[in-house]
Amino acid sequence: MRRYLSLYGVFFVQRLKILLEYRVNFLIGATSTSFLQAAGLLALWVVMRQIPTLNGWTFDEVLLVYGLVTISESITHMFADNLWTIGHSYIRTGEFDRFMVRPIDPLFHLLADRFCHDGIGNLLVGSVLVVKAMSGIGIPWTAGNLIYLSIAVLSGGAIFIALNLLTATTAFWLVDSTPVTFMVYNAYEFAKYPLSIYGRGIRIVLTWLIPFGFASFYPASYLLGRPVGLLAWMGPVVAAVFLAVAYRAWQHGLAHYTSTGS
Amino acid sequence: MILAVRRRAAVFAAFAAMVPKLYLAYNAWVVVEFAVQILFMLVFVAFWHAVYANAPTLGGLDVRQTINYILLAQIVAPLVQSRLILEFGGLIRQGAIAIELLRPVDFQARYAVESLTSLVVFAVQKLPLLVIAWAFLGLRLPVDGEAWAAFGVTLVLGSMVLFFTDWIFACLAFYSTETWGLSVVKIAVATFFSGALVPLPMMPEWLRSIALALPFAQGVAVPVSFLGGISPVSALGPVVLRQIAWLIVLGIGSRLVFRHAVRKITVQGG
Repeated sequence: MRRYLSLYGVFFVQRLKILLEYRVNFLIGATSTSFLQAAGLLALWVVMRQIPTLNGWTFDEVLLVYGLVTISESITHMFADNLWTIGHSYIRTGEFDRFMVRPIDPLFHLLADRFCHDGIGNLLVGSVLVVKAMSGIGIPWTAGNLIYLSIAVLSGGAIFIALNLLTATTAFWLVDSTPVTFMVYNAYEFAKYPLSIYGRGIRIVLTWLIPFGFASFYPASYLLGRPVGLLAWMGPVVAAVFLAVAYRAWQHGLAHYTSTGS
Repeated sequence: MILAVRRRAAVFAAFAAMVPKLYLAYNAWVVVEFAVQILFMLVFVAFWHAVYANAPTLGGLDVRQTINYILLAQIVAPLVQSRLILEFGGLIRQGAIAIELLRPVDFQARYAVESLTSLVVFAVQKLPLLVIAWAFLGLRLPVDGEAWAAFGVTLVLGSMVLFFTDWIFACLAFYSTETWGLSVVKIAVATFFSGALVPLPMMPEWLRSIALALPFAQGVAVPVSFLGGISPVSALGPVVLRQIAWLIVLGIGSRLVFRHAVRKITVQGG
């Protein structure tokens, strides 16, 4: 574990050197995603300034939901973005063979190969939203709440990574897995708003099948004192189960890997 | 003279014929984009129903009109969205731009033809989505042929307005080697101000005036409002005149900007 941590540090420093070679590009990339979030938030503000609540949720409360899922997304965006590109950048080009002959875990190598600075914008936007929402609503910044928040966003991030890993694994058979990842990943759009605005079917899917609900709605409900029962605490368990399943699938795919090169 | 025109038309027809092949080559993407668009529509329908639980009308629109508008905007917005900057960035990075500029075909006209053909190909591709939205999500379509015609005319003109806007923006690729981040920024600005997320009448005055001063609404809000029954067909004349004015200004502007920007070109790799 310590070896991998120090190795990650080495990869990270190299990546940073590459990124900072073109400083303006780094800045544009790092802030670009926040523009997308700003567009969505501006739309939300335009609508919510005209109504008192969205299904009983005030503007600040919706922002808390939105902010939590945005931070969770930024974790996979920064540290696991290569799961998006594995198919077309590594498997199709034969680059993946390089990972197979190195004395480190291929999945670790894939993830450590590229820290993605584009996720920084989402991390900033998400953090600002959560701080603004919590202050606006008056949720105290106690140690307990801070620990709960950290666990919630880490579990959320892990759920994002697990789902991306699960879908990226299809690259071993389909070569390009991006369409599959794109489809599942985009379900997170639902999780930007309180799940209570959707019908029962969508709520079940977002809780048990593509469990983005644990990255936003359930932790936000807990912090706001809304009754969601045990689901408020299930995030880490769901994340662990999905990570385990995804890693098993990855190992299975890896065992079936046949290089595209000749 | 006639022969020359015919020869030129044949060249552009060949470029146009490539477009459907390009899009139909990746079946998986067509299916996936379809599924994701349905997913987004489900989110929007649920969201707007929740919004209207508290208010009978917003910005003068009732729930039916708004959902109609948003569903149509979600279908139309991707039709007029191009990522020329990524195309330019790729050409410059690979050095292929040098070859492209040497070809005996007008560089911009070629992309304009491709853009118009994409509009037709995409429009056909999105027809099933329109049917699904109509059958399951409560989309109402006009039976009046004039509304469809007004939609068609303003959509084609609007897509060209956005093409020229994109062209000017894409010239940034000559100055910056990073194009992905810039394309994301542009999509964010264009999506909001095109009226794809919120109908323009709902925006506060200051935001609406910005949206109307920018060209993005010409490709989404303007045509969709005709099909969604928000703008009456009788308003078509002035709307089309405004679009033509946009076209002239941006058309000339895009040529000037390109002529200036292309001097900055540095083809990497000798």
